[in-house]
Amino acid sequence: MRILLVEDEKKVADIILRGLKAERFAVDVYHDGQSAWEAANTYNYDLIILDLMLPRLSGTEILEKVRRKNQQVPILILTARDGMADKIKNFETGADDYLTKPFAFAELLLRIKALLRRGPVNRSSVLRVGDLEIDRLSQNVRRAGKKIELTAKEYSLLEYLATHPGRVFSRTMIIEHVWDQSFQGLTNIVDVYVRHLREKVDDAFSVKLLRTVRGVGYSLDDGTQT
Amino acid sequence: MNTRSISFRLVAWYAGLLAGIFLLLCAVLYLDLRHFLENDLRESQFRRARQIANTLLAHVKQTGEAAVASQTKDWYEPEINDRFIRITRTDGTLVYVSEAPKDGSFDPAEVPLFPPAPRPEFSRKLKLSGGNTLLIAALNFKSSGNPDYVVEFGALLDPVETMLNHVFLQLALGLPLAVVIITVGGYLLVQRSLKPVEQITRAAERITQHNLSERLPVSHNGDELERLSISLNRMITRLDDAFQNSKRFVADASHELRTPLTILRGELENIAEDPRFDSELRNRAGSLLEEAEHLSRIVEQLFTLSRLDAGEAQTEWARFDLSELAKTTADQMGLLAEDKGIAMVCDANQPILVEGDRARLKQVVVNLLDNAIKYTRANGKIQLRVHGVNGHAVLEVEDNGIGIPRDALPHIFERFYRVDQTRADGSESAGLGLSIVKSICTAHGADVEVQSAVGNGSCFRVKLPLSKG
Repeated sequence: MRILLVEDEKKVADIILRGLKAERFAVDVYHDGQSAWEAANTYNYDLIILDLMLPRLSGTEILEKVRRKNQQVPILILTARDGMADKIKNFETGADDYLTKPFAFAELLLRIKALLRRGPVNRSSVLRVGDLEIDRLSQNVRRAGKKIELTAKEYSLLEYLATHPGRVFSRTMIIEHVWDQSFQGLTNIVDVYVRHLREKVDDAFSVKLLRTVRGVGYSLDDGTQT
Repeated sequence: MNTRSISFRLVAWYAGLLAGIFLLLCAVLYLDLRHFLENDLRESQFRRARQIANTLLAHVKQTGEAAVASQTKDWYEPEINDRFIRITRTDGTLVYVSEAPKDGSFDPAEVPLFPPAPRPEFSRKLKLSGGNTLLIAALNFKSSGNPDYVVEFGALLDPVETMLNHVFLQLALGLPLAVVIITVGGYLLVQRSLKPVEQITRAAERITQHNLSERLPVSHNGDELERLSISLNRMITRLDDAFQNSKRFVADASHELRTPLTILRGELENIAEDPRFDSELRNRAGSLLEEAEHLSRIVEQLFTLSRLDAGEAQTEWARFDLSELAKTTADQMGLLAEDKGIAMVCDANQPILVEGDRARLKQVVVNLLDNAIKYTRANGKIQLRVHGVNGHAVLEVEDNGIGIPRDALPHIFERFYRVDQTRADGSESAGLGLSIVKSICTAHGADVEVQSAVGNGSCFRVKLPLSKG
């Protein structure tokens, strides 16, 4: 998989580059709009990550040019501008996703994988992490065959973490998916719910599935995932 | 009527001054006319008296007194002309006296004899029993070789009086009428010239921070009001520029702050998750990451505030049930309260329809509930109520927590204000939550107020207009 990364801020580009390489992507990095457009025009990329404020040619202009030529390639906008008008304009021009800085790399990766439709996207109705079973149809949760009673929010949280076992989800991502934007200011809501979830899911077992990564977030992991 | 308004004061002064000037003019006119008419009448009587003296009495020696009397009667026909003529000798004996006039307006016998006079000519006014006034001109006739006589020639003053009365009546009626016309005319004129002021006032009241691009109407007739509205418009332009600048500043600052935050978080994330580093280092990176996230949150909240200030709340305006919003939010936050051993009760059973940005108003409920949970002790109680009162939707969040000191109450909606400056409560909030509540309420035309007593808890009340649909 080959990704074109267009980001004028060298340090930001560097962080993304390292992260993506660790995930075994081939990445080309350009720091200005003109050479990025030339690269996009020359090679067939599987995905383009585009910053909006670029020297010589703006991200929106590149977006227009690429879309005129190639309708297929998924484009993810990465920007510090988060005005509603900006978002709508770029979606209309043909962007597939939009991520505002500052972001958690884990979230960028999840979005990239969703756009590439690869990675462990489990479509089956039952999610399994170790001996934990989550039935998405009946919303029943069992661990080692024993039924666990969860509230609606606890279930949504567990199900979200189980979609990518081993992957660390930031509090921001969890809030956005399980609650909504309004709860962004109070991150301790995630901590409280994870603690309650842990009491029900992990306390009675020797293998702990819910893992805390300090400063980063939480993951559901039975130790077999990388 | 507003007695302090410019139009009232202007018209009152104007009408008062004009009425005063008119009154003075009329008085002068009346007195002058009266003086002139009486003088004229008196002069004509003297002229005739002199005529008798010079033409008849001068030759009395040749013609005799009887001839003088008959000549006088023939010439002046006093009975027909309503005149009074009397010629007396200086000892008071009569030479001639006219008879009563045909219309009987006076009786010559009533007129007393001429008192000894020091001057050769003088006049007097005589009020008669019939109510009429006689103006009599008297002439002392002296000539060498002749006996001395007194010639008196009189006429009724009443035609002059009648005319003066008529003029007086005209003025007395005309003056108030003129003042009324002037007042009404002046009022209309002032109203017309002050109309642009009214328009400017109304336009100025409409202009808020959200429509600073609007301008006041300019009359284009070169008057002072045109200058005023142009000056005010220039002021609004300067305000608009300043406001745009500060908005642009926030947008620029947003970009400038986000990029380094992205780098900071990215690098720290790499360290925190890289198994090659030892756990102590990863733990410290995680701690820094928490602070970086905290910093991001403050930045986000500031941008939220600045966007609200810029009037961006109206982007997703819709009608919705505030009770339903309160219930779901309380439900989503229930565990936070439960975790602290706080009982949260939601009393929102009636559907209360309001209009606004649902996500923003949800932020209000979230922030108020979060605040209440934060400042309520274990075993406390939080009540969330929604009800309709007098065309308004009221949302109340009441707790029995630690309360807010009286001197802190006026400041709690200020940015970065914290009741406990020492952060002893261990919370990591930046003191922006209630500012955001306030800004969202303002953008929705809602009021937010707070009642609180230390030790008894606080009650926040949001008053929002009900949906009219």
